Amino acid sequence: MIYFTELEHLPVYGVKGEYLGQLEDLCVAPAQNSLRVASYLVRSPKNALICITHEQMQSLSVRAGQTNVPRDEVRCYAPDEGLLKVKKDILDQQIIDVNNRKVVRVNDVDFDIQPTDHHAELRIVAVNVGMAAALRRLLQGLLAKHTIRMLTSSFPTRTIPWEFVNLIEPDPQRRLKLRLSYDRVAELHPADIADILEELSRDEQKSVLEGLDDETAAQALSEIPTRMQADLLESIPTEKAADIVEEMAPDEAADVLQELSPETSAEVLADMGKDEANEVRELLGFEENTAGALMTTEYVFVHESASVEGAIAALRNFEGPVELIQMIYLVDSDAQLTGAVPVGRILLSQAATMLKELAMDSLISVPSHARAVSVVDLFHKYNLVSLPVVDDNGHLIGVVTADDVLELVITKKQFRNRG
Amino acid sequence: MNRERLRRYRTSLLIFLAVLGPGIITANVDNDAGGIYTYSLAGAKFGFTLLWTLIPITVALVVVQEIVARMGVVTGKGLADLIREEYGFRTTFILMMMLLAADLGNTVAEFAGLASGMSVFGVTRYVAVPLGAVLVWALVVKGTYRLVEKVFLAACVFYVAYPVSCFLAHPKWPDAVISTLRPTFQFSGSYLYMLIGVVGTTIAPWMQFYLQAAVVEKGIKVKEYIYSRWDVIVGCIITDVVAFFIIVACAATIYLSGHRQINDAGDAALALRPLAGHAASALFAFGLCNASLFSACILPLATAYYVCEGLGLEAGINKRFDEAPAFYWLYTSLIVVGALAVMLLSEARQIPIILFSQVANGILLPFVLIFMLHLVNRDDLMGKYKNSRLFNYIAWVSCVVMIVLTLLLVVSTFFPDKLPA
Repeated sequence: MIYFTELEHLPVYGVKGEYLGQLEDLCVAPAQNSLRVASYLVRSPKNALICITHEQMQSLSVRAGQTNVPRDEVRCYAPDEGLLKVKKDILDQQIIDVNNRKVVRVNDVDFDIQPTDHHAELRIVAVNVGMAAALRRLLQGLLAKHTIRMLTSSFPTRTIPWEFVNLIEPDPQRRLKLRLSYDRVAELHPADIADILEELSRDEQKSVLEGLDDETAAQALSEIPTRMQADLLESIPTEKAADIVEEMAPDEAADVLQELSPETSAEVLADMGKDEANEVRELLGFEENTAGALMTTEYVFVHESASVEGAIAALRNFEGPVELIQMIYLVDSDAQLTGAVPVGRILLSQAATMLKELAMDSLISVPSHARAVSVVDLFHKYNLVSLPVVDDNGHLIGVVTADDVLELVITKKQFRNRG
Repeated sequence: MNRERLRRYRTSLLIFLAVLGPGIITANVDNDAGGIYTYSLAGAKFGFTLLWTLIPITVALVVVQEIVARMGVVTGKGLADLIREEYGFRTTFILMMMLLAADLGNTVAEFAGLASGMSVFGVTRYVAVPLGAVLVWALVVKGTYRLVEKVFLAACVFYVAYPVSCFLAHPKWPDAVISTLRPTFQFSGSYLYMLIGVVGTTIAPWMQFYLQAAVVEKGIKVKEYIYSRWDVIVGCIITDVVAFFIIVACAATIYLSGHRQINDAGDAALALRPLAGHAASALFAFGLCNASLFSACILPLATAYYVCEGLGLEAGINKRFDEAPAFYWLYTSLIVVGALAVMLLSEARQIPIILFSQVANGILLPFVLIFMLHLVNRDDLMGKYKNSRLFNYIAWVSCVVMIVLTLLLVVSTFFPDKLPA
């Protein structure tokens, strides 16, 4: 194991032992090999930056780098956006630790030296974020390298294996050249992605968000504070914003659209699919902090004359997230709400059973203009998991689910506690 | 049409109030115990003659604070973060340690200010300081955000104690105004020393870190930056308006009485009693206690915050103790050490700590200002929000003047007798 701190400023020699300069940075070419150091940048005594390729590096140690080229054959470094520089792009920067689902700052980078046919190959093993690495950075150049190793050995090290490191590159073009993706981040739970997003600066948030698929982005976005959601959506192209909002639950989408500036909100709505946009528009019509603003329009309903078989068919045809469906609602021919059947009861009944027979004894619903507090009270009093919302004529228009109520209660509490 | 315009005004006002805060709070913390003492001394020893410096100081303060606020809004990162990413771990570590030293001294000064303010009301420091320390610690660690915000806003309002106490002192207003607008200069060592002291106490390195972090924390958008700029400008003006009233109050009373030596800010309040009456004196002392507590609340918190951020450690009041141990330890020790120093050490023995902090401040400021100017001119960070060329000239001149004055202050703390009398 060798650390970048130990390699930095390493003297590098030519084939005849002539001094070439000091090692300044290491480059990885992710397009070819994402682990191997592809070239070594060396600062010559004349202050020129020269580039030693990995084949030219004969051997490498904490004391010196030995190349197999004479001084007059080394070439100058030509800037290349496609190269990932260890010092410039990784050291001291924030990265996402995919394994621990956290954003951390890099203190050092760990390498392995592997002798490969006639030359030494340097491979990135991990990034180092622990105390030992911090101490090593502090003492670098002030004490001998082996003394530093001895001193730091008693301090705790914390390393993140390179495969769990996700770099953050705000520039989309460079991201492409570096073959940087956020695929591994996308595999995390949306709530964890949300936590990560909150730790980043706006450009970095934007970069991560643009790198996620629309569905994941929508889920993650739903978990961060609405104001931050609006900020982020305003900073990315409207088309992408519309794609993401389309994937959000209609009530969440309405919340964030309300936070956007009227112009952006209109543009996003215009770019969204017609059906989704209409659903959201309906919700936008309700006053804040009412049952109407809280409810979602994604719910399952059937005619009151339907049987269990019909209910299951309705569930199969439902396009929204099924895992949140706890109730199937019954409506009459006039779209008036007449009953609610728990999905559990349906599962336990014969296919021919009439839903009417399975309906809850007492039907609890709420008018769309009811205050959010009274919605919370109803959930509390009747131990509800979902609550149908009706308009002035008793037509079913939406459903408030327990997760929305929980979020409302918790954000209210947090707001009271810490804003 | 008219209604539309009215609505637009109302929205702007609302946005302004929403982004309002970082600049004004920074400004009020700036008028802490050390600041009040320095301004009192300036008024007591030199009358109105130092008032003119407040205008250039305000300009320099606005220039510097506007830059960091802009960097915060555009990059979304704190100053400590930016310095770490640009200048590496060691530089950041050394800066953070100096900041820690400087702010420890400042915290001691806050508790000393509280002790001396409360002594005017006859409360011993052995009661005032521990109570204050517990209050400050509990408010931040155990208090709710709403409560903290309300307390801070109230604390900001209480600075009005100074203007009122100043009016009670019945100064000669025309003279005060003329002295503010017309620069004068005395070629004496003690005058120069005082001038440097006023500059040094008004523009301190922690303010840049604090303001930028607060702007980032508040999540102010680039679009809203214009309001944030006003927040900064209003804040800086408030700082110096309060300073103006303190100087004028002391100049109109203590300076004119001829007995011009005061040893701390509480002394100034006491000296006001026979000259401007009980009310003025009590208000002055009350203002001092308020300012000391307010700053003792924010300084240790802010210090712990950016030291941790710069070094890549977890930080934040919303994290549990076991998630961010370094942060809570730092915060708590700053308060405990600050309070203990004031309770256990005699005043003479507190002086080395305060001098040390002044020196740390003085060494730190040039680095912070130069790093700041370098960072704000970087294309990749700031894009079109870089400094304009004209603004750069103003900024560089302000910074160089401040650096020279601060270094003079450091030198003169070591060799107070080398100055021509």
